[in-house]
Amino acid sequence: MKTRSIEVIVPPPAPHYVGDGFRVHNFIPSGYHLDMHRMTPFIMMDYNSKFVFPPSAQPKGVGVHPHRGFETVTLAYKGKVAHHDSAGNSGVIGEGDVQWMTAASGILHKEYHEEAFSKTGGEFQMVQLWVNLPAKDKLSKPKYQGLTHEGIGKFELPDNAGVIEVIAGQYQEVKGVASTFSPVHLQNAKLNKGGKAAFNFPSHYNTALLVIEGSVNVNGTEAAETDHFVLFENDGEAFTIEALETSVVLVLSGEPINEPIAAQGPFVMNTRQEIVQAIDDYNQGEFGYLD
Amino acid sequence: MIEQYKKFLQEKAGLTAAEIETLTATLQSKTFHKGDFLLHAGEVCAYAFFVEKGLLRSFTIDETGKEHIIQFGPENWFVTDRSSAYFHEASDFSIEAVEETTVVLIDAAFISRASAVYPNFMRFNEKALQNHIRQLQKRINLLLSATAEKRYLDFIRLYPDLTLRVPQWMIASYLGITPESLSRVRKELAKNNFKPHS
Repeated sequence: MKTRSIEVIVPPPAPHYVGDGFRVHNFIPSGYHLDMHRMTPFIMMDYNSKFVFPPSAQPKGVGVHPHRGFETVTLAYKGKVAHHDSAGNSGVIGEGDVQWMTAASGILHKEYHEEAFSKTGGEFQMVQLWVNLPAKDKLSKPKYQGLTHEGIGKFELPDNAGVIEVIAGQYQEVKGVASTFSPVHLQNAKLNKGGKAAFNFPSHYNTALLVIEGSVNVNGTEAAETDHFVLFENDGEAFTIEALETSVVLVLSGEPINEPIAAQGPFVMNTRQEIVQAIDDYNQGEFGYLD
Repeated sequence: MIEQYKKFLQEKAGLTAAEIETLTATLQSKTFHKGDFLLHAGEVCAYAFFVEKGLLRSFTIDETGKEHIIQFGPENWFVTDRSSAYFHEASDFSIEAVEETTVVLIDAAFISRASAVYPNFMRFNEKALQNHIRQLQKRINLLLSATAEKRYLDFIRLYPDLTLRVPQWMIASYLGITPESLSRVRKELAKNNFKPHS
């Protein structure tokens, strides 16, 4: 088993607002290292680093918008997000919870700070990922997986090193609760100071880390600070992370979906023609209606 | 950055690559941030703007402070105030960048020179003007006589992806209807066309 080396450690890019409720650093797709193909099936990653929102009577967020052709995965680390969609679903993503929404053939939704959280304000920290769908599944039926923190499988590391929360994929014998359309590992490594965890994914899986809290040493060679993104080469299977202080690290690894990508705004398809069709279907009301 | 404009001339005006290089050598482009004004009503601006990338809107503000959008200008569109750019009079309209926008600055002298040297350009320019007038006639007719639904259906045909790029109130302003009527139209369309997966 060969060690997977680090390609680049990316500091958080300047933040921008998505709507008025999400102050995000966009790691994917951006620049030379991280276009939609480099980290496929992870084609977009917005990271709202820890930020204190002041109290607001009117919940901040993102208004009604469509998606087609992929899945949105929202991980709440601090604060709460409420969501509604055109199929009549709604819910709240609380701290530690993960919402895995398969937009697939099309959905309209909106995401806002949960009402009580909005009124008190406070620390807010979220990750939103877009996970691409294989061409054959892009027009499948939309669905939700609301994964609560309690329901997410946990692997206790030996020697009080910490815990690995397995959202998707597998760590040792613990399997992720999320069902996915292609092989995806998504795990939170919550490590105590000095705690060490070893990971092992096929070398062709695109693999990265996001340091949510604390700082870690990767492969015993390079330190990665809070809010930094670690992109691995595809040159080996194994890597280790060791917490330099109490740390939380999001670990992502997935089998590449090597298909053409045509993307515009909230639609990610395989051809330009499919994008034109998506825009037309949206304009004609085929995604439904949401106030 | 005037690559898009060169491509536009090649496809629409029937000029050769060499002719386009000569013609556009002195043209300038400029990038504006979201919310920047390219022109304020009352000012004189010598330029028409060709949108390389981004999105412009031209609009007026009435006595009650309400905005009325005259035109959107996404990629490959021209936005200009004719009073200002051609007649050198104070502009009736303001022009604002809705997104970060790069434009090519085109003045009347450039059009005259290009028309004098290249007959193809002159024919293209006349056709473009005629087409612009035709669109304006259609727009006047829609504003005077069409239902909100018809106006919206025409809008999504003309500007398919703007529903994803601008807020609802801007679309309503362009269509001369209230945001509530626009919501009603979209709701009605969704009622008839919604295709939930069975």
